[in-house]
Amino acid sequence: MPNLPHVLHLVDDATPGGVNRVLEHIQTCPLMDRTARHSLRVVSRNGALPSCDADIIVSHLSLNWRRLPSLIAFRARHAGKPLVHVEHSYTEAFTALNVPSKLRFFTMLRTSLALFDNVVAVSQAQADWMKRRRLAAAQTLRVIAPVVDLRDFRALAPADGTPRVIGAIGRLHRQKGFDILIRAFRRLPNQDVSLHIHGAGPEDAALRALACDDPRIRFFGHSDHPDRVMQSVDLVAIPSRWEAFGLVALEARAAGRPVLCSGVDGLTMSAGRDGTFVYGQEEAGWAQALATALEADTVKQKSSRAVDCEREFASAWSRLIADHTGYDATAVSTSDVYSTHACPAE
Amino acid sequence: MPYATIVVPSYNAAATLPATLASLSAQSFRDFEVVIVDDGSIDNTATIANLHAAKDRRFRVVHQLNRGLAGARNSGIAAARGSVIGFCDADDLWIPEKLAAHINHLRANPEVGLSYSGSALIDEAGNRIGHAQRPRLRGVTSAHVFKRNPIGNGSAPVIRRETLDAIAWRPASETQRDWIFDETFRQSEDIECWLRLCLKTDWIIEGVPGLLTEYRVNATGLSANIEAQLASWERMVTKLRPTAPDFFAQHETAARAYQLRYLARRAVSSGDGDAACALLGRAFGESHRPILEEPMRSLTTLLAAHATARFGDMPMNFARTVLRAARS
Repeated sequence: MPNLPHVLHLVDDATPGGVNRVLEHIQTCPLMDRTARHSLRVVSRNGALPSCDADIIVSHLSLNWRRLPSLIAFRARHAGKPLVHVEHSYTEAFTALNVPSKLRFFTMLRTSLALFDNVVAVSQAQADWMKRRRLAAAQTLRVIAPVVDLRDFRALAPADGTPRVIGAIGRLHRQKGFDILIRAFRRLPNQDVSLHIHGAGPEDAALRALACDDPRIRFFGHSDHPDRVMQSVDLVAIPSRWEAFGLVALEARAAGRPVLCSGVDGLTMSAGRDGTFVYGQEEAGWAQALATALEADTVKQKSSRAVDCEREFASAWSRLIADHTGYDATAVSTSDVYSTHACPAE
Repeated sequence: MPYATIVVPSYNAAATLPATLASLSAQSFRDFEVVIVDDGSIDNTATIANLHAAKDRRFRVVHQLNRGLAGARNSGIAAARGSVIGFCDADDLWIPEKLAAHINHLRANPEVGLSYSGSALIDEAGNRIGHAQRPRLRGVTSAHVFKRNPIGNGSAPVIRRETLDAIAWRPASETQRDWIFDETFRQSEDIECWLRLCLKTDWIIEGVPGLLTEYRVNATGLSANIEAQLASWERMVTKLRPTAPDFFAQHETAARAYQLRYLARRAVSSGDGDAACALLGRAFGESHRPILEEPMRSLTTLLAAHATARFGDMPMNFARTVLRAARS
């Protein structure tokens, strides 16, 4: 084993969710393992950041004004180390809906991101937004779409026939917009279709109240087996109000499930060309889109099953690592770890 | 390619269109085109537009079957070639420095997507009546737009093309071009568009100082219209609420109170004091925020409504005369 560069990932949010699933993938992916040794360190949300010994330090931290002083101190103590930041949360739609003072927010982001040698956007839309708002210098900015191990999803038989079970998968938080979906679904006259909501979160009670006594809508709570959840649905609806990337869309594609989603932020990338996009959050628009999707014959839709995503992810990271350490990264591009398992049904 | 486009939606505007077009020809910033959209007029709007276009080659005329104000603006945007787009309704006027002021503002502030200004109100003869819209210019949040609409009127804003593109969509029923303004609205189409811009994009909305637009008011037949105006405002709320339920939960009642107070003021202007009093009652029943946030304006509206209900037009006419004398 050659002396691989050590990449240390810092995270301040240890709750289960997309970010931590991606971090788990980074540490366990056999391709990532070939060009660097990746480790993870959980740090406090607002306190000082520790001294770190690694060849590259990657921040997955949430940025805000309160975090900024500790980030500056961290930069000063690691002045010569390559520092990379991955922005998992902020997007244009997030800003529109959550930030009253936009100029102040842009200044915070601009100041924070200026401390890093590289900024990684998780979708093209997010990168375009960062460029448009001059949040990060174009030469430091890269797009690396997040990924998890999709082999279990690709192993599933693709959905066929007309969809009967609509899946809504994710945290029950207003960001995910499941309230829009429930209202729209309740308008559908079809008695032979159902809406399965998988996830937990602060909106649980409100969403159950919204579903009222409609027996077609069922709540399943959070599952630690996202592939089994995916297997149980025929179509995945993602009515998010903002979404930096949208892993569920990627998983749905890998599982051969059609995706119906709002056209915001990173979803335009994660849902890919096969995705069906709905403009706006109006109940009537979503009801119409659901009705159309429920009539479409899934078999006729050729899905690419998100092939090659893991390898693209690993080679993008190895290129970034190589740029800072000079370590050669060709090992990744010749691998077929993931493709051997891909698309059994096609 | 002209740097700016000014869209002039025109429907049966023969009486006012010549002055509007002359005010645009006289802009000090000269690198622009004007797209006059003749929205199925049955008077000689088309002739006037064509004549002006023959004199000033920067003007073009687009004719269409009547689609309403939103539809005319959308057609104008679709025909526009400029990288910033302004709007001037066919009965309003731009003062010569207006376009230059907004273009300087947008060039100096890359985060600002929509630049607007205050407006002086003019009567049917084109004389300033002494009233003006002097909105908040900076630090404008979505809540300000919802409650007070600082943009004020449809002839005030100059907007970046890419800002408009960010809120464009193509309804299933539409075969020709995108929508920016929602053509299913016949009123409240402005505020619907601005609030949608606030809730869907992070472009900043900001004003420049000065009364750069002359906005024509006519005082006839307003009261009959009030319920229809309220209904379209409510439809706007219903349409956009799912985009930002928390935002609406926080600001909706206050915004409705401001909307009712605004309609009460219009009722006072048209001499209908009883309607004004009723509207104010509903406004303050909805929320006390207009009283807390703008006590003077709320109080003067209340006094004017009751004075008009009791004595008719007389007190307001007297007040206008005094104000005009004091200003001149």
